[in-house]
Amino acid sequence: MHPSSETSVRAATVAIELRGVTRLFGTIPAIVRANLRVERGEVVVLRGPNGAGKTTLLRIAATALSPTYGRGSILGFDLEREREEIRLRSDLLSHRTRLYEDLGAAENLAFWCRLLGLDAAGIDAALERVGMLEVAGERVRGFSQGMRQRIAVARTIIRRPDLLLLDEPYTGLDAEARHAVDDLIREAARDGRTVLMATHHPAPEAVAHRELHVDGGRIVREAP
Amino acid sequence: MDVAARGLGKATSRSGERALGVAALVAVVVSAILSLVVAPPDAVQGEVQRLMYVHVPAAWLAYLSFFVVFVASVAYLKTHRIRWDRIAAASAEIGVLFTALAIALGALWGKPIWGTWWTWDPRLTTTAMLLLIYLAYLAVRRVVDNPSRRARWAAVIGIVGFVDVPIVHLSVVWWRSLHQQATLLRVGGPEIHGSMLVALLSGVVAFTLVYAYLMTLRLRVGRLEERSVREALSPQVGELEEADA
Amino acid sequence: MTARAEHVASSAPFLRQAMAIAAKDLRIEVRGRHALGTLLPFAATLLVSFGFAFGPGRDVLERTAPGLLWMATLFAAVMAARRSYQAETEDDALEGLLLAPVDKAAVFLGKAVAVTLELLVLVIAVLLMVVVLFDLSPGNPFALLGAFALGTVGLAAVGGLFGVVAEAERTREAVFPMLVLPLVTPVLIAGVRATDLATTGQAGEAAQWLGLLLAFDIVFVSVGILVFGHLMED
Repeated sequence: MHPSSETSVRAATVAIELRGVTRLFGTIPAIVRANLRVERGEVVVLRGPNGAGKTTLLRIAATALSPTYGRGSILGFDLEREREEIRLRSDLLSHRTRLYEDLGAAENLAFWCRLLGLDAAGIDAALERVGMLEVAGERVRGFSQGMRQRIAVARTIIRRPDLLLLDEPYTGLDAEARHAVDDLIREAARDGRTVLMATHHPAPEAVAHRELHVDGGRIVREAP
Repeated sequence: MDVAARGLGKATSRSGERALGVAALVAVVVSAILSLVVAPPDAVQGEVQRLMYVHVPAAWLAYLSFFVVFVASVAYLKTHRIRWDRIAAASAEIGVLFTALAIALGALWGKPIWGTWWTWDPRLTTTAMLLLIYLAYLAVRRVVDNPSRRARWAAVIGIVGFVDVPIVHLSVVWWRSLHQQATLLRVGGPEIHGSMLVALLSGVVAFTLVYAYLMTLRLRVGRLEERSVREALSPQVGELEEADA
Repeated sequence: MTARAEHVASSAPFLRQAMAIAAKDLRIEVRGRHALGTLLPFAATLLVSFGFAFGPGRDVLERTAPGLLWMATLFAAVMAARRSYQAETEDDALEGLLLAPVDKAAVFLGKAVAVTLELLVLVIAVLLMVVVLFDLSPGNPFALLGAFALGTVGLAAVGGLFGVVAEAERTREAVFPMLVLPLVTPVLIAGVRATDLATTGQAGEAAQWLGLLLAFDIVFVSVGILVFGHLMED
């Protein structure tokens, strides 16, 4: 029984709500007065040129950054004050895979499971799904970006977050890794979990989604 | 918290600033007269001892500044209001000056008395460590671009450093007690003459007023810097509410 | 209609998180032999260099041995703490720890524990070297080891706390040691004194210095637990 399962009911129907969110890095505005609303179960894709602010937006939603101005709530939890609750229920996949170079694939996952109180039994199954079971014991240091990202996908599979955030996840991936990412998104959509992704890549097939265009730090328009 | 902030607001208005400047100037003059003319020369050390009237207040300010950094750092981490980070940064900059001054004066005082510039006097040594911690604080501030991260990291250093100083002092005092060398200061001993005490206190008051005045100046400069940054941004950002009054 | 996803993840208790992180750090160290692989040769080089600089007369070396021991430990601590965080930034794993529902204080504690253990292994090796090179008599081994145990905890706490700063984008090489060294002055002073007393048969008087080391440890571990989270957040 998870102590926060009662409060997770509070999360209503809105997965992400950002109001007037601005993020400055010194004198550089990365995001300006962004208003974003993503309903539960939606799949939303952010498009836009490099430096438009897509990454910043995602990282704010992931609580990796806090907004300079503005407020928001993720899954019903306040962006500023309830960050650990948000972190419990969301996962961010970017091209930085957050692995430890000197540990093996399975060891990396085992560490995360220990840390998060997750059952280690799911590790092998997850690695199998992404096709990394054979090299589970090898050190990450020798792996390609595609292999690393697949391990990261396996980690997310085990975590089953309510909110899945992806920041240019396809960067530098081979076909097998791209399939793994697509699979992850498809599974999340099927389960009614929420997905927010920034990418230049086409979205996975057969996944209904909404597109938003980001430019110059603003959410410029919705695509139909 | 808010009462302090409002008081600070009053002090940092232009008229408040001017009044503070005048008060500081008057206090410095009075203190100089008391220290150089009114107080008698020391029986043992002679005229050189008059350095105490500047050295002790400078040292007092060094620690006061750091205390302010500590309080402002705690306030920032609790409230995340950028005003506290500005105060901490300003106090650290001014504090470095006073600390360096205190150490320099201590060395100047020590040379004619003991024949060497540096005797590892416990209080001077701790003050030197304080200077190093201040410098590290400022170095980290310079190195970090991201303002919210810079404020957080500086605040942590401001807190940790301040908590460490008493421990440093204790360790240095114990260390020095291995070699019984007299310290420079005999303040508080039975030999202190009444007018010397008055001169000393006037110095403390004067320096405190100078510190307060420099703080208001530095904070005003900081606010101007931020305003120009905001104005440079405004074509893109529109009107951003001023983060703090 | 969207099926309400089951919530699988929860959070492990604080100490278990800290131990998981410490274990992970130690496993990485054993695998990569980063810290020990560079620190041990570094310490050896340092000691031999000091031998050339202050020798060959045995008495000078004997008298300065405690100081040299602690200087070597100090530098090793800075390097070990830095290395501990390097592993976290190679692939942005540190951000992974930030975004995980993990108590940030557990990250601090885990890393400090790992660095302490690495340093202790190093210290024992260095002690043996010093006993051989500088003719230092081990004296009272309990007081000696006690001093180093307490001292390394203090050094690891400060290093583990500020190691985050060491890995910031524009941080120049010198900022991290510049930050750590003044703060650990009490450890240096107390450690050298205690070592000196322990090796010259005055272990009883070493107690006061060991007390100071213990106080330092308690203060810095507590403060570290309180403030570390702020260093990780942005």
